Amino acid sequence: MPQPASPISTLYRIEARPDGVALVLAGDWGASAQLPTTQRIVAEVLGARTHDAAPVVIDGTELASAHPRVAAVVYGVNEQLRMRSVEVRYEDLPDSVHALVTLARPAQPEEGRRDRAHWLNRLGKRGGRRVASVADTAELIGNAFAATPKLAVGKAQARWVDFMALIRETGAASLPVVTVVNLLIGAVLGFVGAVQLATFGAGLYLADLVGIAVAREMAAIMTAFIMAGRIGATFAAHLATMEANEEIDALRMIGVSPFEFLVLPRLTALTLMMPLLFLYAAALGIGGGMIVADVVLNTSPASFLGRLQDAVAMRHFVIGFIKAVCFGVLIALASCYLGMRAGRNAAEVGRAATRTVVVSIIGIIVIDAIFALCTNALGV
Amino acid sequence: MAELDSTQPVPERGVAVRDLTLAYGDTVVQQDLSFHVQPASIFVIMGVSGCGKSTLLRHMIDLEQAEQGDVVFDGHRLWTDDSAERAALQRRIGVLFQSTALWSSMSVGENVGLPLQLHTRLSAAEIRDQVAFKLALVGLAGQESRMPSELSGGMQKRAGLARAIALDPDYLFLDEPSAGLDPITSQRLDSLIMNLRDALQLSVIAVTHELPSIFTIADDSIYLDNESRRAIAHGDPRTLAEHAEHARVRAFLNRQPIVADDGPS
Repeated sequence: MPQPASPISTLYRIEARPDGVALVLAGDWGASAQLPTTQRIVAEVLGARTHDAAPVVIDGTELASAHPRVAAVVYGVNEQLRMRSVEVRYEDLPDSVHALVTLARPAQPEEGRRDRAHWLNRLGKRGGRRVASVADTAELIGNAFAATPKLAVGKAQARWVDFMALIRETGAASLPVVTVVNLLIGAVLGFVGAVQLATFGAGLYLADLVGIAVAREMAAIMTAFIMAGRIGATFAAHLATMEANEEIDALRMIGVSPFEFLVLPRLTALTLMMPLLFLYAAALGIGGGMIVADVVLNTSPASFLGRLQDAVAMRHFVIGFIKAVCFGVLIALASCYLGMRAGRNAAEVGRAATRTVVVSIIGIIVIDAIFALCTNALGV
Repeated sequence: MAELDSTQPVPERGVAVRDLTLAYGDTVVQQDLSFHVQPASIFVIMGVSGCGKSTLLRHMIDLEQAEQGDVVFDGHRLWTDDSAERAALQRRIGVLFQSTALWSSMSVGENVGLPLQLHTRLSAAEIRDQVAFKLALVGLAGQESRMPSELSGGMQKRAGLARAIALDPDYLFLDEPSAGLDPITSQRLDSLIMNLRDALQLSVIAVTHELPSIFTIADDSIYLDNESRRAIAHGDPRTLAEHAEHARVRAFLNRQPIVADDGPS
């Protein structure tokens, strides 16, 4: 049984003629869902050639429509044959197809483009960029130390109104999400602890478990994660957009330090708000544990709080408080650094925000581990 | 003359705008706009900044819905309830945005190839052929792998134009095509637009206030007035520059200070 002709084969055929090979285009190219590729046609044309000197004729006599897709293939075939020094002649191509093919300009060899460097050279340059990035980070931290006193005495090039807006954004506006997350974290810790401690008849010690875990670790870490996602990403995206719109260059041009105007208020706002949010989060976490103790173990809030006072020393809160300050500094510096060094396009804005969250979360875990090692060594 | 009386039947070919009123909330941007764009011609929408040129263009490409009136492409109403017909019509429209709006995370080749990937059943190799040709048409042959951020302003405009014609549209809308370009690049872009009109038989609707471009490319034009909020002149801009009824139109086209006038003079 004969196979039906493929739709593509009805659109062209290669014909041997006395003066060489002809590519005869036919049918309605606009109506066809599939098209022959340039590569396929060129391979068939070259395969059919018997005389190297003979030109290839592209014949449009049998075309049912002059769709621009025909011009794309004619242009591609012509280009590839031209690169192989094969002469091409057009015969009866529709005027519009001919006009389009004439309008298309082939690629010109690029001038002034350097050859690809040796891989060792590229590796060295990449290493150099890494070192420069570490130096930039060090400079940013140094600037933070140098400029903070200026802000404290009101001599920094920053606007009070911006600073207050940042305080509101990082502080009060973060309260709802900090509330939900920390209350639930305290409750979850309470549930897990209550089940285990009740097995040994030690339910009273739930206050010790929840109190120490929340004050020393969970409140600071969970709040920092929230701030990395909520505030760090916002800072990075905002600064990256400003960079893309040349707003940061405009600040430099009027003699304003972008660090003092943009970074310092963000750094200060987050560093001030993080420990306050930590205290709020710790209270809520302990509250969540207390509710669970009441519901699951029938431990009254008074007994829970009494036990908490005896078991959880002030040093646990102090350690959590110091960590919260460090996390605030980390998130602010990471977001500002990555935001201001983003490229000048929309994709870079999203990338800066994502990188800020990733870098902040990794940094938070690393700082927490360092604290664990240090406090263990110091016996606190 | 491009003016179209709203009582006349809608022409079967070209783009017809009838009694269009554009408004944002209580603010009327332009009202009672009626004109006709001939097939395979370049129609320029001109006027001073803030008169509603780009707003009109956004309505004509269905990015905004008009308060009142209609836009008809070759006899097909733009704001029809048939979503399939509306989508099919949109595929016949190519747009070059003022900021070029190239997708920055994609290479130039991917930018031009994406419409073909989404709206045709062509294979990857067939799409590559089409993309190479479209880029060659706008003088960017061999630039497929470059990112938009690596291109100059003029090259970005041309890449945007290649994307706009990727699906071989019948109507091409250009929003300030030569804004921000140097005179030579701007002149090259004008030539390219005219060549594409001739070769692809496109109906081109361009929004611009660049006088050299207007006089070079326009077959027909409309002047949107930001005081009366109406179109106060239609026709060939070269003729309007000398003989427009309103002094404001003549002042605009001759780059003269606008004198206060309450009507034709």
